[in-house]
Amino acid sequence: MKKSGKEKGTIKVQTPIGENETERLEIGDRIEIHGIIYCGRDAILPKLVRLIENDTLGTIAINLKGAVIFHTAVSLAGIGPTTSNKVEIERSIPALAKAGVKIHVGKGSLSARTVFELENYNSLFAITPPVSALFSDRILYQRIVAFKEEGMEALYELEVKGLPAIIAIAQGESIF
Amino acid sequence: MTVSRGDIVEAVKHCVVKAGTTFRGDQLQAYRNAIRIENNPNAKWALERILENAYIAEKNALPLCDDTGIPHVFVEIGDEVTLPNDWVTALSDGVIQGLRAMPGRPMAVKGNPIERIEQSKGLFRDPGKVLLAPVIVKPAAKNKLKITVLLLGGGPEIRAKTYRVFHRRSIDVVLDEAASWVTSEVKNLGCTPCVPAMAIGRTHLEASALMLEAMKEGSLNRQNDWEKKVTEMINSTGVGPLGLGGNTTALGTFIKVGPLRASGVRIVSVRPCCCFEPRKATVSLSG
Repeated sequence: MKKSGKEKGTIKVQTPIGENETERLEIGDRIEIHGIIYCGRDAILPKLVRLIENDTLGTIAINLKGAVIFHTAVSLAGIGPTTSNKVEIERSIPALAKAGVKIHVGKGSLSARTVFELENYNSLFAITPPVSALFSDRILYQRIVAFKEEGMEALYELEVKGLPAIIAIAQGESIF
Repeated sequence: MTVSRGDIVEAVKHCVVKAGTTFRGDQLQAYRNAIRIENNPNAKWALERILENAYIAEKNALPLCDDTGIPHVFVEIGDEVTLPNDWVTALSDGVIQGLRAMPGRPMAVKGNPIERIEQSKGLFRDPGKVLLAPVIVKPAAKNKLKITVLLLGGGPEIRAKTYRVFHRRSIDVVLDEAASWVTSEVKNLGCTPCVPAMAIGRTHLEASALMLEAMKEGSLNRQNDWEKKVTEMINSTGVGPLGLGGNTTALGTFIKVGPLRASGVRIVSVRPCCCFEPRKATVSLSG
């Protein structure tokens, strides 16, 4: 287990994230995410993976190249990370990373296998506290992209300014 | 004392909103203390964000967490309190109104039992469709009525369990096993620092109800030696806030022991409450 005990400044991350940009980020780095991000969790991430596997991702308005996916519901109660080690979420991470997602944002530890897969696809896992009230003024707009029938678990697109997070898994290393 | 239906609805509604949007004094104090002594910069950062979130939530009347939880209602009734015939449905109506006012997260699942399990018919859009859990009723002093609402989030439910412990006539055996479960789960919980709630009873239902009672009664300002011991065990893991490392994996522990049966077995219920929990509020009415 490697812990993140160093004092560093906050790094601004603008989406979409370039292929090599992840290399400058290491575990323990505090980041603030700006730009378009996608929000999805248990209900829709496996559906998104099926679209990728069936080569039908083009049927929905989403661009996963350099994307950030936040494991959260979206509702009038706000946004906040759900547990990323739930089966449907964690199992979706490798395929989404392969498809171009650069940062997966959630909470809770992930397995050694997922750490390996993230490194394999040059992708990162970041964690953030479930501070929904604090997040409320970081959201510039939100809209449903797909799977509207899932309600708060639909696939959402958000524009955020300064969504705070800390890198928890990067380049084969994990804080957990 | 005679209590009206309206009194009950308003009390429950108030409790739902307050529990979901407000830190109590003991929580504020616990976070301030933790920030003061935390050495790990990222852990301190996370604790500061949680405290900042509490200030914003209270100021702007926003939910502390988007998982506004499943409402659990605890009613304590004195022998001299006269309740209306429809007091049970008044509790439900208070929950509905509270969830709509907060607003709660619209997470109630539609459909028949199978459709609900498979979540194949989608979700209700109305946060008021999140039904209250079974109500717990206990006696109170003669003319007192106390209503407490607790909101239980989903993350801790993944990590909670109720099970048997062969106690070998030792409190250490029981608490070591319960604390071991929490220490094995906290890094997966994600939303630490936690507040483990633990209870020991005769049956699984009773242990779970006592665990909820521990959440209802517990204060981070008032910790007995056993609670301090469990907290120290969990903090020795070094998991820290969100798993970032540091000293603050647990802010405190709440333990409740109920009536027990003659046996070598105790039924233990353990729930690592998340960084906002216990989210609870109480209204007391007295004649």
